Amino acid sequence: MGESRSEPHTESSNACATGPKTAGRDEPPEREGPLLRRWLSFSARRERRLEQTGSDPDPRFTFANERTFLAWNRTALALIAAGLAAAQFLKFNLHGLRLIIAVPLIVLGAALALASYLHWEDSERAMRLRQPLRYSWMPRVLTGGIAVIAVCGGILAVVDRLVH
Amino acid sequence: MNRPQSQPTGGTATPPPDRDDPGLARERTALAWTRSALTMAASGVLIARAAFVGHLPVLGVVIAVAMATLSVLTWRNGQAIYRERLEACMPQRLQTTAFGLLTMATVLVAGSAIVVTVAI
Repeated sequence: MGESRSEPHTESSNACATGPKTAGRDEPPEREGPLLRRWLSFSARRERRLEQTGSDPDPRFTFANERTFLAWNRTALALIAAGLAAAQFLKFNLHGLRLIIAVPLIVLGAALALASYLHWEDSERAMRLRQPLRYSWMPRVLTGGIAVIAVCGGILAVVDRLVH
Repeated sequence: MNRPQSQPTGGTATPPPDRDDPGLARERTALAWTRSALTMAASGVLIARAAFVGHLPVLGVVIAVAMATLSVLTWRNGQAIYRERLEACMPQRLQTTAFGLLTMATVLVAGSAIVVTVAI
């Protein structure tokens, strides 16, 4: 165990009150206007409700949950990027065939992004209520999705060659 | 300590008390945010490039700007965690809003990726 190292950044006690929230307030330029603002206040209410549920878990568990969410989000982004790469670099004789590979990859990425958020909230609530964590269906969907898409890719490659 | 030191290999993984935690979990989390920002920037480059390939220059510029903004925000969020989330006030700082925005942004990215894919 390490010695209790005092953090040098203890300037003020309310430093944490103005932390990541301000960083997330001004968000993508694509969607401004009342919709974003309404959604932000909705999400703030949701956050408060979650914070009032149960009692605070060990901070390390919260951090671990957060990292898990981020890892799933990166996985989703990687799937989207893979779909784009498939669309650009697959050269089928039938030009539209590559969409059969690319679009499912991108849709899988979007679905995983949404599911990872819901899973994070679910786990956070369970930890605050000292309940057991529920298993996520995301690994199964990811594995199955990639397998199905890979098999489709193989079949499409053969069919494309035969038709040509 | 009156206990003999012959049985420390019990392997009971009791977590250390919070006061002694040197903050490695926080550091890992900040690094995860940094990785996310890098992934965001990389996929932004990919999608913007694909948009230009697919003759959608306006969409390409919009995507590039949006993704650059997003990755800077994501990176800054990680920095904020590293600096400001002290052990004492950490539990008040749930990241619901940041996560929600990140999720929404990812879904938007997927949507524009589909548009670009069809256009190529």
